[in-house]
Amino acid sequence: MNFTSDVVIGLEIHVQLNTVTKLFCRCPTVAQEPNSATCPVCLGHPGSKPVLNKVALEKSTMIALAIGCAINPSMQFSRKTYFYPDMSKNYQITQFELPLAEHGNVTLDDGKVVRVKRVHMEEDPAALVHQGSADYTLVDYNRSGMPLVEIVTEPDMTTPDEAREFIKKLMHIISYLKVFDDANGIIKADANVSIKESGYTRVEIKNITGAKEIERALIVEVQRQHGSIKSGENIVQETRGWDPAVGMTRSQRKKETEDDYGYIIDPDLPTITMSKDRVEQLRALVPELGGEKATRLTQQYKIDAVDASVMAKERELGELFERVAQHVDPVLAARWMRRELRRALAAAGKDVSEVDEKLLVELLQLIDKKTITDRIGQRLVDRLVQEGISPAKVVKEEGLAAVSDESAITTVVKQVVDANPAVVAQYKAGEEKAFNFLVGQSMKALKGKGSPAVINKILKVVLG
Amino acid sequence: MIELRRYVKEVSQGEHDVVDIARKALASAKSIDKEHAYFNTFADERFIEEANAKPKGRLAGVAISVKDCVCVKGVESTAGSDILRGYKPLFDATAVERVWKQGGMIIGKTSQDEFGFGGFSVNIGKGYRVPKNPFDTNRSCGGSSGGAAGMTRKAEFPHLAIGESTGGSITCPAAFCGVVGFCPTYGRVSRWGLIDYANSLDKIGSMAKNVRDAALLIEVMAGSDPQDSTCSDLPVEQFSTVDGDIKGLRVGIIKEAFGEGVDPAVAESVKNATRELEAKGAIIKEISLPLNAKYGIPTYYLIAMCEASTNLAKYGGMRYGAHEKLEGDFNTYFTKVRTAHFGDEAKRRLMLGTFARMAGYRDAYYLRALKLRSALIDEYKSAFKGVDVLASPTMPMVAPTFDEISKLTPLQNYMADILTVGPNVAGLPHISVPVSPAHRMPVGIQLVADHFKESTLVRTGVNLE
Ligand SMILES: [Zn+2]
Repeated sequence: MNFTSDVVIGLEIHVQLNTVTKLFCRCPTVAQEPNSATCPVCLGHPGSKPVLNKVALEKSTMIALAIGCAINPSMQFSRKTYFYPDMSKNYQITQFELPLAEHGNVTLDDGKVVRVKRVHMEEDPAALVHQGSADYTLVDYNRSGMPLVEIVTEPDMTTPDEAREFIKKLMHIISYLKVFDDANGIIKADANVSIKESGYTRVEIKNITGAKEIERALIVEVQRQHGSIKSGENIVQETRGWDPAVGMTRSQRKKETEDDYGYIIDPDLPTITMSKDRVEQLRALVPELGGEKATRLTQQYKIDAVDASVMAKERELGELFERVAQHVDPVLAARWMRRELRRALAAAGKDVSEVDEKLLVELLQLIDKKTITDRIGQRLVDRLVQEGISPAKVVKEEGLAAVSDESAITTVVKQVVDANPAVVAQYKAGEEKAFNFLVGQSMKALKGKGSPAVINKILKVVLG
Repeated sequence: MIELRRYVKEVSQGEHDVVDIARKALASAKSIDKEHAYFNTFADERFIEEANAKPKGRLAGVAISVKDCVCVKGVESTAGSDILRGYKPLFDATAVERVWKQGGMIIGKTSQDEFGFGGFSVNIGKGYRVPKNPFDTNRSCGGSSGGAAGMTRKAEFPHLAIGESTGGSITCPAAFCGVVGFCPTYGRVSRWGLIDYANSLDKIGSMAKNVRDAALLIEVMAGSDPQDSTCSDLPVEQFSTVDGDIKGLRVGIIKEAFGEGVDPAVAESVKNATRELEAKGAIIKEISLPLNAKYGIPTYYLIAMCEASTNLAKYGGMRYGAHEKLEGDFNTYFTKVRTAHFGDEAKRRLMLGTFARMAGYRDAYYLRALKLRSALIDEYKSAFKGVDVLASPTMPMVAPTFDEISKLTPLQNYMADILTVGPNVAGLPHISVPVSPAHRMPVGIQLVADHFKESTLVRTGVNLE
């Protein structure tokens, strides 16, 4: 390849799917005790055979479709053979010659396209649990056979920052598809990094966990390579490990040749054929993704760009917004949902899915028609989220309707002015703060039911 | 001796003391085993327990011997390898479970070449015994299901054997021991619980004293199984009871199987058998399968060894089977266990199989063998447009003596499979039926039918009994 940039980065990202069972057996993917979620298949017992989890295949296909890949009409699993204590069979079932999908891409904010070379499924090995300074290591087979999707990019990124953005975009897509457990799921990456000064000698960094760590490891590695060149050393083709505790990469293995895993087609798993119809059915399940959706929302509903980007990012909120917008002014709905509803949900520790759509519409209509003031509206959002109250009913029962009668407001304002001669004097001496204080007092006296705009207007008249 | 299917019926009607029969059968099998080494393990406890449980079903009260590579829950199952010593599976193979549900009683695990790596049952694991031919103890039983075939010949009690074939491991020993060996279509019987040799070739089958009994056992074991992705969903035909009408049946004599390298006395016995078929109304044709003759052996061995070398990777003394003292790093440990507990032929196939799938050689060997395999299947498929069944000797010779075997080079050893590898590579159902002996030793005719046409084999085979 003809590289020209100062730094060249390619990523292999492993995402753990949130299926209920493992990739090739019926063991649960969530377990408490070590080695409790195991069976003859994931323990590699003689005579056991893998059977593909169809849901994992569907979820992987959706990821591949969401990043614009072409799904291979027929695909196979292969055995990647190497000896390691975390491997129950000393081969890993993965995809080699015929992966799930190929040729996708992810567009970064500045319009740069990062090409995705391939997407394939594979099983996770068991976890090695090191015992401090002890001279032995334990193996937890709960992880053995967990479903992973690997996304391999072309070496298209030129800065650690781009790599971080790519991962962020990818994670956004995956969490949007609901195929990944945001709370407990793990994302891991291998990165290959090279710099111009070394003639782009490829160094691979293995096993970095988490998006932030990936960027950090890349920054450190680029610095290390530049430092080596400056001090007259050569960069060699090698595999390095990332140690997050010290923030350093460490050489693991020099590579004279490419790894040789002696791949064969896994004869226990027949070729999978994916019909065009099936691909289209799955494509229909792939929701509109963040970027496109934000653009559409601004155009279709004329809502604020920031509101639109939040609605696009948070899939369920966005879906609720589009339903609510059928009944309420979309601009008002978007603003209230982004600011007030999200604030109230966060405070109550609740999820968008718990919001009663009808009650929300009811509340937003009250606000829209100025039946209640924004202040009362804010309080009612909280009560709606926490207690599920009917806003219309509460407004009626508790007399929370905005005081629209200007003479009533004038009466209250006059009382406030009479009661605070010292503040009025300050106002007259040119202190703006004093005016705000009087507005606040009037609001308080009206129990939040007076519109601040009306109070402002009347107060100015009263004060002369 | 009582006819097996009549016995099963009588057992179901409570006419036999099955426990007593089982005790005597076990004692008899043990005494046969002393001289002939047909068993790696006896399942005494399970066998008598099953007899006590008043067996019912299509195999009620029949002693079933199981080739060691097929898992039997709680009974040591090692595929004849020292590296699996002490391994007691946590589950029954699907085939075993189905047999047991139909009243079959598991008597023990029969001897074999280690992991199925051989045709004479002499490539046994360290510390195992070589099974002896029931007609002449200086001769081989054939392999790799040697113990199964020998026991089937010698058993004087109602008995059927579960065998397994990868490249001829059912029909070869059946021919050498003078019994019927029946290997169904690939995918007809679930492989769940079969300790893998080469997964794309392995098939569980049966051995019996006659064709219909062998067919009955296949019928019981066959059918879809969600635990084996390669197992067929096609409904199971009741082929054990098909008629024996072969009027107009087209039998293709494989030209290449009667020429050079085939004992003329063996060829003559088999020719005579085809004449018998002709006398009963079959139409005999000559068919040439040049691709199979030329590429059958290399295609089989390359695919089998590549797959085997990955299957055997898991045996490293970590969770089951043979262990060694924990010393050094994991590489040292795995090497120590594998060096100490694999036999020579297992090591040879591991090395050849690993070599043939490594970068640089993969295209020339492994991938080429896969392509050849398709060509070989195509050759059979076009042959079946003109004939219903193919016939040849099962083995090119009668059972050799151990002395003769010891003088064979590995390549000569592999070449002995020349007639059996074809249907195995193509996944075609095939059966070996005893015909008239040669040199006072048994000879088998091998009949091959198209995929899932097991019934054609039964229909043809019963005419030779
Ligand atoms: Zn499992």
